[in-house]
Amino acid sequence: MFYRAAGIRHTDYRQTRQLWPLAADRRLLAAIAALALAAPLLLSPLALNSYLTPLLLWTSAALGLNLLMGGAGQVHLGYGAVMAIGAYGTVHLVRAGLPFELALLAGGLLAALIGTLFGAAALRVKGLYLAVSTLALQYLTDFVIVHVPAISGGSQASLQVPALRLLGQPVTSDAGLYFVALGACALLTVWMLNIRRTSFGRALAAIREKDFAAEILGVSAFRYKLLAFWVSSFVGGVAGALYAFCYYKAVSPEQFHIELSIQLLATVIVGGMGSVLGCYFGAALILLAPPLLNHALAALSRQYGGLIGNDLLTHAPLILYGALIVGFLLFEPLGLAKIYDNLRKSLLVWPFRHARR
Amino acid sequence: MSIDRRQLMAAGAAAALAGTLLPARAQDKVVRFGMAQDFTVVYTFVTAEYSQGQRDYFSLVNERGGVSGWKIATEIVDTGNAPQRGIEAYERFKRNGVVLVDPLSTPVSRALVSRALQDKINLVTTFSGRSDAADGEVFPYVLPLSASYWSQAAILVEYMARQDKDLKGKKIAFVHIDTPFGREPLPLLQALARRRGFELLPFAYAPPGNEQSAVWTQLRRARPDWTLIWGGGVGQTVSVKEALRNGIAADRIASVVWLSESDMKVVGPAQAKGVLKYEGAASGREPKIIQDILREVVAKGKGAGPQDLVGTSYYNIGVMAAATMVEGVRKALEITGGGAVTAEALNQGLRNIKGFTAEGLIPPLSTTPKDHQGGGMGRVAQWDGSRWVPKTDWLASDQDAVWDLIRASSAEFKKTGT
Amino acid sequence: MDLLLFTELAINGALVGLMYALVALGIVLVYKASGYANLAQGAFAMAGGYLCLLLASAAGLPLWAAALLSLAVLFAGGMLVERFLLRRMIGQPVVMVIMLTLGLEILLRGLVPGLLGSTVKPLDLGIPQTPLLLGEILVNRAYLAGGGLALVLIVGAVLFFNSPLGVRMRAVSDDKIAAWAVGIRVEHVIAVAWGLAGVSAGAAGILWGSVQGVDWTLSLLLLKALAIAILGGLDSVPGVLAAGLVVGIAESVAAGVLDPLIGGGTRDVVASAIILLTILVRPHGLFGSEHIERV
Repeated sequence: MFYRAAGIRHTDYRQTRQLWPLAADRRLLAAIAALALAAPLLLSPLALNSYLTPLLLWTSAALGLNLLMGGAGQVHLGYGAVMAIGAYGTVHLVRAGLPFELALLAGGLLAALIGTLFGAAALRVKGLYLAVSTLALQYLTDFVIVHVPAISGGSQASLQVPALRLLGQPVTSDAGLYFVALGACALLTVWMLNIRRTSFGRALAAIREKDFAAEILGVSAFRYKLLAFWVSSFVGGVAGALYAFCYYKAVSPEQFHIELSIQLLATVIVGGMGSVLGCYFGAALILLAPPLLNHALAALSRQYGGLIGNDLLTHAPLILYGALIVGFLLFEPLGLAKIYDNLRKSLLVWPFRHARR
Repeated sequence: MSIDRRQLMAAGAAAALAGTLLPARAQDKVVRFGMAQDFTVVYTFVTAEYSQGQRDYFSLVNERGGVSGWKIATEIVDTGNAPQRGIEAYERFKRNGVVLVDPLSTPVSRALVSRALQDKINLVTTFSGRSDAADGEVFPYVLPLSASYWSQAAILVEYMARQDKDLKGKKIAFVHIDTPFGREPLPLLQALARRRGFELLPFAYAPPGNEQSAVWTQLRRARPDWTLIWGGGVGQTVSVKEALRNGIAADRIASVVWLSESDMKVVGPAQAKGVLKYEGAASGREPKIIQDILREVVAKGKGAGPQDLVGTSYYNIGVMAAATMVEGVRKALEITGGGAVTAEALNQGLRNIKGFTAEGLIPPLSTTPKDHQGGGMGRVAQWDGSRWVPKTDWLASDQDAVWDLIRASSAEFKKTGT
Repeated sequence: MDLLLFTELAINGALVGLMYALVALGIVLVYKASGYANLAQGAFAMAGGYLCLLLASAAGLPLWAAALLSLAVLFAGGMLVERFLLRRMIGQPVVMVIMLTLGLEILLRGLVPGLLGSTVKPLDLGIPQTPLLLGEILVNRAYLAGGGLALVLIVGAVLFFNSPLGVRMRAVSDDKIAAWAVGIRVEHVIAVAWGLAGVSAGAAGILWGSVQGVDWTLSLLLLKALAIAILGGLDSVPGVLAAGLVVGIAESVAAGVLDPLIGGGTRDVVASAIILLTILVRPHGLFGSEHIERV
């Protein structure tokens, strides 16, 4: 009843290739877009600043990793390093006087260049070996950033980020930064959704399934693997730079350590590998669940005093986070996107039930 | 229908969880402090005891009726040393009307500096954070209220000079963790080396410092007269063990403030006899304030943690921080005449503390709007096998060199925002 | 370069490398039997250290008894992890399994210090702290004991593969279907491999806990163990021994030689550099067998 799929007839190829063929999908999207644009008016500054903006930035980064892992089937445990390169590159370029838009693109290109070097390991190995080599590159990048004061900003290793300037105008208000993040995330989402319809996306899918079979068919695994790393590292660099400008406002090496890489990995997997919508869901869960639990537990502990030991209280978010990852992988390996998909499929035929799995 | 019961239950749980997020009810006569500290990652070695000390002191104050009737309420959250979680906690504190935030983490405090200065919320950075925040003119709302690492290094070197009568020609080895925290004293030590004529031999070990044999092998060959160790947690215990194993005399090893009774237990209490460290607050249970806590809080079962941790070094540092904050509240109430304690009022209070000693726990702390460090005083204490025994009176040393560095660094911040 | 300094660095480095290799032994055992890498080995080691302390203090057992008992508990723990977590993931892409073990690592890193206390605790195995001097060369007594014990356990593992159970494990690692066909209980063998991995991690955790104190940083042993496992070959136990020595010596010598030049902290870079070089030059490691993917 809600998602009427009946009566939709396509008369040309362009219509069949639409991203959202169902009218109900398009209406839902329009409603969400309207809410997103009105968010600064509807939400408190806390929710906007601390929850929505980081969510959008996190999703942008996850989209890049999702392309690499879900689209091309490569493993990347060093995405935090790629984001770090983008962030530091952009910040240094803006401090040197380059306008923000150019610096952002340049930072992304720098991250793409170095990220593709990471990916060179992918040409030789797969699976666990690839994971471990990207891990090693993460540690190497950490080391280089911390030990070269010119990059990390002096002995205190903390670099203040200049104000974000779009077309020369400084953007400093919460709402302004939120809209920058929203715009970037929206652009990236549409781009990622579109990649599936292009030959690039199909080539990546072929390599993901079986790379030597793709090779036989004439899809160059060498070329497309490198391209996948290039594109995803570019996105990672841009996301890292935006993170620094819109949220952190001061970059330091700790922000891009291995924990960030693992969290992004968890986001993509819990959300559903290969699914763009899954990135949003995964980001919401991984980013927001630990602090919410933190505060819920703090509220509980205020009421019940010292019933729960302090060590347990402070480690609870870690426990929840680990349990979430393990739980999802065991019980719903296809992630939150699959759960949403089930819901949607049942709504497609509601109130009938013949869509039951 | 493919939504199964499991997923419904999960959704229900999420809704219930969201329900607990109702904002705290506004209560009158409460001063709110926000403690967004690192309990789980880098500062684990100190935060549990520090937080326990803080909470016990606040309980003591509240038991006695608060500061002129104003009670202290704390919100405690773990940040895992992640700046992002620190920012999120800070924003939430802001919404709940918190007037003071204590991050006890250098990366988190650095991330919060620009926000605190903008929002005019007090950021207290005990023995952590930016050393140049001592310059109150550039950092009005960032208050270390404790001796910076530069001051600590100066006091330790002064002690060495007193022991040896003259440091000219001597060799001081500086074993530090290879992080910004570990490298921080280097400029001051180099300045002191020039001033006093000793040779500084720096040795860095990779974090977290659980394996340092290469460093100590080389150090042994250099035969230093004094060894200064600068790390935290695991790095410190391994440093002391390695030093002893390599034949360095225990009473020629001096450490930064981060060396506690638990660390000494790991090394071996009897073997580590003689090790020296900088002390910013008296350790042990003798100080009157700790006795009061034992009597009025712990004995009544209101202690915030295990009783055997009351009186340890880090616990007492927590009490020190809490007592200083409460003194700031007291001064703020003088200024507002008993009215609401806003962040601005508390800021005025914290910047005008005169000769505060927390009933003998700490050296006299005097802050001014220009000096947020409070004098940079401390003393050197020695491990006697079971406790830390002070070897000097409260002293400060080479504060002129320290302030040169502070001013150079804060000028840099003023110019470029770094 | 000073030969004596080099020798001392090399000897201590070799001993430390053996202690790291003990953690890597578990990774190799699991990979050999089931084809998956256990990235929660570091967390198991941490759990081993904590368990030993818990049993010694709560149950009042003498330390050696607590250590043995905690190893037994970890054996059971490893088998439980295999039974309830890994068995559901058979057939899933390898990145999912990697993520599962990482998730398990995070869970343990939160659960164990959360329940048993996050302040660092001493674990005294009774090894004296006095220096042991061979001429001018100082050998760290704790590392000597730790390295010696690790060597014994690794050699034991090598010999184990000639025992009936070990032969069955070799069969399973070679070809699971064929092993099934000849009547070997593949699930049992894999479960035992995980149990042994738990034991080796626990032993390493207790040894390292006595050196540095027991807290969550014990779980950071993972990176070094991975470097050793990859250098030696993910499915070769003698490789673990050789690679452990190489990595330990390389790290120690590099720290001794390069640190004064670069200003510190080269130790961790050595592990990463070794991983990268191995994967780029000879992915299956020094003694590993080449993985042939069938079309």
